[in-house]
Amino acid sequence: MIEFVQILIEGALVGLVYGLVAISFVVIYRASKIINLAQGEVVVVGAFLLWTFTEGMAGIGYPLPLWLALLLTLAGCVAFGWTIERTVFRPLIGQSAFTIFMAGVALLILLRGLAQLVWGAQSRSAPAILPEGALDLGPFLVNTRLLIGAVFTILLTQALHLFFTRSRLGLRLAAVAEDHTTAHSLGVSVRQAIAVAWIMGTVVATAAAVVLLSGSILSLEVAVIGFKALPVALLGGMESIRGAPLAGLIIGIFEALASAYLDPLTNGAASGLLPYVVMIAVLLIRPYGLFGWRKIERL
Amino acid sequence: MRPTGIWFSSYAAEARVLETARARIWLGLLGAGLLGLPLVSGTWLLGEMTNLFITLIAVCGLFVTVGMAGQINIAQSAFVGVGAFTAAKLSGLGVPVWAVIPAAALASGVVSVLFALPAARVKGFYLALTTLAAQVMFPIVILALPMSWLGGLVGMPVAPPRLFGIGLGTPAGLYLLGLVLAALAVWTSYNLPRSRIGRAFRAVHDNDSAAGVMGIPVTRIKIAAFFVGALYAGVAGAILAYLLQFVTVSSFTLFASVWYLGMLIVGGLHSPLGPILGVIFVTLVQEGLHSAGNAILQSGSGLGGGAVFAASSVVLGLCILAALIFEPRGLAHLWTQTMTAFRLWPFPRN
Repeated sequence: MIEFVQILIEGALVGLVYGLVAISFVVIYRASKIINLAQGEVVVVGAFLLWTFTEGMAGIGYPLPLWLALLLTLAGCVAFGWTIERTVFRPLIGQSAFTIFMAGVALLILLRGLAQLVWGAQSRSAPAILPEGALDLGPFLVNTRLLIGAVFTILLTQALHLFFTRSRLGLRLAAVAEDHTTAHSLGVSVRQAIAVAWIMGTVVATAAAVVLLSGSILSLEVAVIGFKALPVALLGGMESIRGAPLAGLIIGIFEALASAYLDPLTNGAASGLLPYVVMIAVLLIRPYGLFGWRKIERL
Repeated sequence: MRPTGIWFSSYAAEARVLETARARIWLGLLGAGLLGLPLVSGTWLLGEMTNLFITLIAVCGLFVTVGMAGQINIAQSAFVGVGAFTAAKLSGLGVPVWAVIPAAALASGVVSVLFALPAARVKGFYLALTTLAAQVMFPIVILALPMSWLGGLVGMPVAPPRLFGIGLGTPAGLYLLGLVLAALAVWTSYNLPRSRIGRAFRAVHDNDSAAGVMGIPVTRIKIAAFFVGALYAGVAGAILAYLLQFVTVSSFTLFASVWYLGMLIVGGLHSPLGPILGVIFVTLVQEGLHSAGNAILQSGSGLGGGAVFAASSVVLGLCILAALIFEPRGLAHLWTQTMTAFRLWPFPRN
């Protein structure tokens, strides 16, 4: 029984990290109607930016204080998100969803190549920003890094939810997510929306990288997290900020259970397959996810 | 646009893909040149060309699914992988080439139908996600299956192909096999848009609600588009298995799928010429970067071979973005425009 609860706790905490990456998907979609396939690459770029300003600067003899490094990373993310909007998505405003999806595919290739060219393919240790360790809660052990990440995820979710449903800018962004042309004709700046979306998306993705990688290994392979978080975002609903962490919890817990009880029977495949099986099931039963917007087709 | 002085006296003549005698002669010369290449060229060029043919077949399949029917497929590499593993397994059991290739195609087709079934409920981007699931699940499944089935982590050896008692395992043999099948793939992808099902694909591509109203069974057509596209992938996989002589999961990644898509976009989504131009262009760029990379490596700077791959990723990514932003119809459209300008010279092309 203790083991079972321990598995649940660990699954839930990991699931909330998936939820955090899923939020970065949702933020971009909710504000600009772009489903960005390259989100995993964005996480990697954010993580490498952070690495550059902490370990990288220390490595060449200019160690920065942590607050300055985090501030510089934030500035780097804003610049990065803004550059992507300016160079890739602004010329594509008004194009079909197909074209915009393909632009995401191109970004996936481009960012992976750029990351490898700039930072190299070797893996390195990621900066330890959150304290590593375990918290004793009676018979259970809770990973402090993931716990801080989970609390952060929940606070961030609430803040973003308020932003998107209460603030004037957030509501304007929602209009852009509904339809580019209509939003444009109503005087909402689609360019601004996409820029805001990308800046928020990269910042959230970098926050996810901090939680995920703090004190562990940083390499190009980390980008896989993007494809793990995609089913989560879909399950929660692409338009729902609050759906993402909840879906993350569901996927995380089921993945942990599958890896504890089913993996020995299936040669280790069950936990890897589970998120995608869930994704296909969601698509078949509720294509708009748990809390997404139901769309009506018109001819 | 046609040059002046070309006219048709029958409907069949007008419907031809190759309208003029001159076009047919040029194609004949090209075919003869490609057939004669093994007599004069070295092993390296033959290997490169075989690789190019394999990629061309896979991208032709993608042209059917993505270009004609408008259904995004980011699992083409997994479907190629299904074909390759089927070919490896069957050739190990002693099945001859002429049976292995259709079987590999069918196996890929069946697997693709499995992942296209959600087309009954979802469309567009969401359907693309099920193919993403296919791509991600493929290596997990292969690795989890018992070693004796598909080789697991180690991979599977492939017996060299033999046809009518002639060994095709040599570079020249594989080159000819690839050439014949690539020619078949190009021929079918030129003719498919002119057929009944091809027009249905096009209608679903343009507007699937409208296509449904006109009486086209939209779901079935979408599933058919994935099936046909995966047939090509299966053929490509079978030849790839023969070429590599050993198949492992690591050859069939999501990244390869994305590259196939990139080649199609750069070449042009809406014309059967697109796959050909795209594959040739990307291969040339890759080879150019390779030789540049080798020159840099020999000059002794600290850049590794990984940097060459990274550089070609950057170039391909930029090419796709440039194509999407400046010329969504790809190189194929540029080609037609150039030909038109050439024919109309000295008059300006309006």
